[in-house]
Amino acid sequence: MDFNRFKQAVIAAAEKLGVKEYELYYSSSESTDVGTFKHEINEFSSSVDGGVCFRCLVDGKMGYASTEALNDAEAESVVARAVENARSLESDDKQFLVAGGQKYQTIEKKSYPLPDTVKLVKTALDVDAALYAADPMIIDGSQGGAGVSVGKIAIYNSNGLDLSYENSGSYFIAAAVVSQNGEMSDSYEFRLGSLDDADIAGAVKKSVDDAKAMLGADVAPTGAYPVVFAPRAMASLLSVYSSAFSSENAQKGLSRLAGKEGQKIASDIVTIVDDPFYKDSAMPRNFDAEGSPTYTKNVIEKGVLKTLLYNLKTANVAGVKTTGNASKGSYSSSVGIKPFTFYIAPGDVTEEQLIEKAGNGVYITSLGGLHAGANAVSGDFSLQSSGFMIENGKKTDKAVKSFTVAGNFYSLLGHITAISDTVEKPRSGGSTAFCSPAVLVEGLTVAGK
Amino acid sequence: MISREICARVLAKAVSTGADYAEIFAEYTVEHSISMIAKKVETIYDGIIAGAGIRVYKGLRSVMASTVDTSEAGLLRCAERAADALGQGSAEISVNLRERIFGDIHPIKVVPATVSNAEKIKILKDGYFAAMDFDPCIKQVSGSLLDIDHNILIASTDGIYAQDRQIRTRIAIQAVAEKNGETQTGFYGPGRRMGMEMFDEINAHDVGIKAAQQAAIMAGAGYCPAGVMPVAIGNGFGGVIFHEACGHSLEASSVAYGLSQFAGKLGQQIANPKVTAIDDGTIPNAWGSINIDDEGTPAQRKVLIENGILKTYMIDKFNGRRMGLESTGSSRRESYSYTPTSRMTNTFIAEGPDENDDIIASMEYGLFAKEMGGGSVNPATGEFNFAVNEGYIVRNGKICEPVRGASLVGKGSEVIMNIDMVGKNLDLGTGMCGASSGSIPTTVGEPLIRVSSITVGGR
Repeated sequence: MDFNRFKQAVIAAAEKLGVKEYELYYSSSESTDVGTFKHEINEFSSSVDGGVCFRCLVDGKMGYASTEALNDAEAESVVARAVENARSLESDDKQFLVAGGQKYQTIEKKSYPLPDTVKLVKTALDVDAALYAADPMIIDGSQGGAGVSVGKIAIYNSNGLDLSYENSGSYFIAAAVVSQNGEMSDSYEFRLGSLDDADIAGAVKKSVDDAKAMLGADVAPTGAYPVVFAPRAMASLLSVYSSAFSSENAQKGLSRLAGKEGQKIASDIVTIVDDPFYKDSAMPRNFDAEGSPTYTKNVIEKGVLKTLLYNLKTANVAGVKTTGNASKGSYSSSVGIKPFTFYIAPGDVTEEQLIEKAGNGVYITSLGGLHAGANAVSGDFSLQSSGFMIENGKKTDKAVKSFTVAGNFYSLLGHITAISDTVEKPRSGGSTAFCSPAVLVEGLTVAGK
Repeated sequence: MISREICARVLAKAVSTGADYAEIFAEYTVEHSISMIAKKVETIYDGIIAGAGIRVYKGLRSVMASTVDTSEAGLLRCAERAADALGQGSAEISVNLRERIFGDIHPIKVVPATVSNAEKIKILKDGYFAAMDFDPCIKQVSGSLLDIDHNILIASTDGIYAQDRQIRTRIAIQAVAEKNGETQTGFYGPGRRMGMEMFDEINAHDVGIKAAQQAAIMAGAGYCPAGVMPVAIGNGFGGVIFHEACGHSLEASSVAYGLSQFAGKLGQQIANPKVTAIDDGTIPNAWGSINIDDEGTPAQRKVLIENGILKTYMIDKFNGRRMGLESTGSSRRESYSYTPTSRMTNTFIAEGPDENDDIIASMEYGLFAKEMGGGSVNPATGEFNFAVNEGYIVRNGKICEPVRGASLVGKGSEVIMNIDMVGKNLDLGTGMCGASSGSIPTTVGEPLIRVSSITVGGR
């Protein structure tokens, strides 16, 4: 049964059970991915998945139920289950379904032809061949990969809302593994976009160079010194702490930014933007998970917290308007809050000048264990890091790894002393993505040897 | 679920372009979860996951296709997609499916779907308010009660036609404490491969107390110092050190490709002689237990490392082909839409020769990591990290003040050699492990151990 037929069956079931206010949220995706091992396509996967989430208001409470099995029995079951679940809820927060008939901005995304299976296979094998040709240190386990996906979202509610969205994209990946004297090192490059003009040579070179650069890396010395986060490292830190900007977390005492709107929370040079239409986004969005229109806003402007991110429920609690940041982790999740493309605005120095300003310190290219070593509530983090030493204002080729950088995100915001002038492209294929320029931070602790 | 006759026709279609093996994995999963925050029941998640994944192999090549359409026509289309992707060729394999019934070593007494929301909420509130009322410094608590009824069917050209019903229940409480304008969190989330009878064994109230206690202790703690020092790691979830530093590097998904610090080391000394480590999917009703793996192979108990010597890897059928080794019942996937690979089940360090008191007494200055958080590893290089959720400084053989914000980092092959004391209070901890085949329930475990030297990421 397709979504439209299932929708009709659910509408009939809702009427039968006397449910007046409800919403159907549908999401599906089709994807194909291929990967190589030793010059052959080793793994090929093609998946079709998706499902429907039904939610409804019963005595002011919002009950949810979802299913991937689209048939008549399930159409009745989701309605009955959602009603039963609503009756067990206790939260007094007023719940809303968005009104129909709103205006949405037009998405301007350049579309490109999607690769067929033959093209995916060829791209993966080309990357594989280029990796082996790039350097004698490359070993088996180095891999080329490519993939394509098409995703659909539709929201329909009893207020007359009927929206749909389709997005597609392709990618390739170059994963280099190098070995020297029994020591292995690896790195990968993930590139989104058309495979017709894919820069395979560039991606292969970068992954091989990055892997080689970490061979023979030492453990950084313990101490407190200036830290430069490379754009990717800063973007990953931002991804963990973006939850601090959720009004839901603030209202529930899970963010220290609660009550700080309008206050200075970061250095003057820090501006953080949330942009649903970001130029390099792989998945620009003109409506959020509740169906509200989205728009671009400065979350932090010159160090001042301008706004948290809201959905309909939290905006009502705070007495403001939604910022169009309602989000669902998957189609079946309850509505939460997430940014779109969330980035630190570029500063006015080059990366070289920024490193010069650091003087003696460490340049961090990658952070590990973010799901464990960074606490989004307290702001404390202690993260596995790797990168290069900075000496006398220059980034050296002395690679360092297996050390940690520790600090607190909330105080880090106030200790950003320089931001470079170039924002790196986001690497996520989804609607939520993080990116950043290089950032210089004072006052963090490095634990190594 | 899907009949043997339909499976046989779908498998025949799947091998039609030359595959030498085909497999259907179908599932119907009911997932239910009640969440509380701000003293109220806030959301109830209620979802059904249903679909099938079809895999074909030809030599060392593998193709996986998945679908939400489990009608015969839908499965045949999915099989055709897999067959087409494998390429040109033809094959006829006589598919003779025999139903295998494996003994259920994880019996369920109370199926969660038969228990009302109201009864589940009563249990959750017991834990929730135990945390909320623990101390005035507890400012917020969130809690959830999760139950999953995961029904799987596996049919393959090996002749396997097998089903399993995996029911799991978990309660998790997170407490937030505030002291002097600083916030800290505490977490405890035990789970079992059980129905609601889990609460005969686990007292929800105690779960809440444990989470709140940790938050309250950490909120008053100073930062952990940074540097290299000896670290004693507490029993139970502390076993995450083995999971990250060693376990992932023993999975065929890395070993078969040479991307493991322990590839080619069978029979060699890779760990301290005091270390014996086991992966055991057969522990009755443990969180990570299975009757059969996701390729239909029965669960096994495997000694991975015995007195420091590497005895076996964890292997699935596909990667086993490349390694020339049999499956060890280690193939796992989050759901039908993931390609399965070798993963851990219940993995732990066995009890050792040392007395727990002697371990702490042996440390002049170091860290006692009583409760650990999650971590991650790069299996190729062995570089790992994991977080300390509750730590204490040890001075002159005595446990002293609590410290917060620490993580431990190092290289697996070195740290596993540095586990130089192993105590006697083995316990298991509940976790979710994320890797290429998705997020799956795994148990970690160990008795109290000492790592003679490791980098502590404090400040």
